[in-house]
Amino acid sequence: MDINTGLLAIGAGLAVGLAALATGWAQGRIGSAGAGALTEKPELFGSILIMLALPETLVILGFAVAAMIILLLKAGG
Amino acid sequence: MLLPMMKIQIVGSKEKLEATLRAIQRLGTVQIQDVAEHGQAQVLPKLSLDANALQRRDQINPLVARLGSFAAILPPGIKAPELSRAYEAASLKSTEELITEAQRVVGELGPKSQALALRGDELQAEQASLTRYQATLRKVAPLAAEIPRLAGYETAALLIERRSAAVLDLVRQKLSEIIGDNFELSARHVDEQTTAAIVVFPTEQSARVNALFGRENITPLRLPQELAGASLTDTLATMAQRLAEIPRDIARVEDELRQLAASWGSSVTVLRAALSDRSAQMEVVGMAGGTRYTFVLVGWMPRRDLGDLNEALQRQAGPEVLVGEIKVGREEMKQVPVALANLPPVRPFEFLVALVALPRYGALDPTPLMALFMPLFFGLILGDIAHGLLLLLCAVVVLRLCRNQTYRSLAQVMVLCGFWSLLFGFLFGEFLGALGRQLFGLKPLWMERSGATIKSLFAFALALGAAHVLLGFALGIWEALRVKARKVLSERLGKFIALIAVFWLVAVVAGTLPRDLTTPGIATLIVGIALLSIPMGWLGGILGPIETLGLISNVLSYLRLAAIGLSSFYLAEVANRLYGVATNVAVGAIVAGLLHALNLAIGIVSATIQSLRLHYVEFFSKFYESGGAPFRPFKQSGV
Repeated sequence: MDINTGLLAIGAGLAVGLAALATGWAQGRIGSAGAGALTEKPELFGSILIMLALPETLVILGFAVAAMIILLLKAGG
Repeated sequence: MLLPMMKIQIVGSKEKLEATLRAIQRLGTVQIQDVAEHGQAQVLPKLSLDANALQRRDQINPLVARLGSFAAILPPGIKAPELSRAYEAASLKSTEELITEAQRVVGELGPKSQALALRGDELQAEQASLTRYQATLRKVAPLAAEIPRLAGYETAALLIERRSAAVLDLVRQKLSEIIGDNFELSARHVDEQTTAAIVVFPTEQSARVNALFGRENITPLRLPQELAGASLTDTLATMAQRLAEIPRDIARVEDELRQLAASWGSSVTVLRAALSDRSAQMEVVGMAGGTRYTFVLVGWMPRRDLGDLNEALQRQAGPEVLVGEIKVGREEMKQVPVALANLPPVRPFEFLVALVALPRYGALDPTPLMALFMPLFFGLILGDIAHGLLLLLCAVVVLRLCRNQTYRSLAQVMVLCGFWSLLFGFLFGEFLGALGRQLFGLKPLWMERSGATIKSLFAFALALGAAHVLLGFALGIWEALRVKARKVLSERLGKFIALIAVFWLVAVVAGTLPRDLTTPGIATLIVGIALLSIPMGWLGGILGPIETLGLISNVLSYLRLAAIGLSSFYLAEVANRLYGVATNVAVGAIVAGLLHALNLAIGIVSATIQSLRLHYVEFFSKFYESGGAPFRPFKQSGV
């Protein structure tokens, strides 16, 4: 394995890892606010579930980039 | 689908109002609306209860509360069919008859049930208190055995924190100062934290010794009043005897309560429900309008039930009561209550739709589409034969054993999800990851979720996503056409065309479509962006392209169907490999089993959440018009 391949692999890891961190941070904040809101208005469960799930697109996009890099790696070598 | 509703007006002579309300309540298909909220031009003076009715209401409400308190005390154990028959009979009686009967029940049952409930509470309190004293006295008991019992002498027990045990020397010194040598103080460490001490002193010195304890802030052990004065050993023996008796006494009280429930439970439940119904009828009178001799009720009902309502009113209230339809204006459409009525296989998904918000009346009900796609997405994520079978098994067990409607609905959803998991398990050739391949040579019917075929899995997830999103837009376009909303139509049509153009261009870049189609593709994209930008005005030039990028991210979001499924597959593989590397077969099997169980639990939760999210966020946003108020018919409370 040459250094370029290694750097690409690190790049793939960073793409999904940093996106996951960002998602986690956003979900943490939405989750805590949502839990507070639910104690007062349990009927908001559906809306809060949506809001909680929204940031997950970030990690999915990160995953898409990582998958493209890995596929590039496989195609190259 | 949404049940077609109609607005009705029920008019009749005032003397028939009670019979009319009773008929409507028994039928349970009409939602009463306050006449004051019904169109300004038709506002009528509101009716109010007469003096007799007010007096009856003041009698009913406390009776319902008393009967409710009996229902809480008396254990269940009444058979449903008998109860329903009794309730049916009670609902035909007059309010006066019900009140008289309820007063008799409360009068006869009240003292008995309350005395028993009080006795039960006392016994439980005594049991808790004696258990607490017993634990404390057991610590002191070994010391008590060392001290002879003398006539004319009193014993006091002290429990002191072990680290403060030095205070006992001070007590000894003070006692010497007060009563000389005429006392005995014996102490012992009884556990890691406590030192117990016993002081024996002449009874006549009791006041001075207790005053000393008070001054030095020492609290001697206080026994329950009935045990005060007895020796510690006798006290412990009495406590043990009483603690053995209390459960028998409690069982006796429970037996008597059960006997009371057998004789009275049915009457209590039925009268409570019947009187609650009458109370509700009186509340509804306040929503009616009327003149000196007539009443007018306004409400909503499913159109299909109009015949039943007419028949019930004719039978129970007579021909003096008439039902007429009120035309619903465009501005009133938002107030129409919504009732979903889908086929039985689709019905369990209704609560998943309502979890976000009910559809507005007249809009499209997405429940059938959710019933089709949600289990499919779930199966694609959790595609594993073992997981599918386990899920099916759990769902079938819940359906057989559980009567709770919410759990049954969830189980019915899980049956479909389990079926799709099983199907995708065969398509991917997975049984607890790749274990099936290793153990019994399971071959995928379609593709493996590992190695070179991952690319195809991603492509499939994206294609499914594109189809789902485009279907959402198609429905949105149809909705906009139906309500003739031009701006919405332009935006949705533009997004639909732009998304198709994006895939077109991607196919050209990937070489699936010929390069000659690049220019028509770009032209289509521009048309799409232009259409979706029109409703945005001058901002459209900037927001249009951004919206198009958002559409791509909508479709990319469906990659989660492949990504989360892959993570589940690899977690299963980790479990299988751990079993392979473990030196001890049993330990390896336990660890692998636990990991597989964890994988299944995570898989079920995440597959459900992700499938729902794709519907709520990516799919519903293309066409769904929410905001319907649930249909709440005026009906009997039931037993």
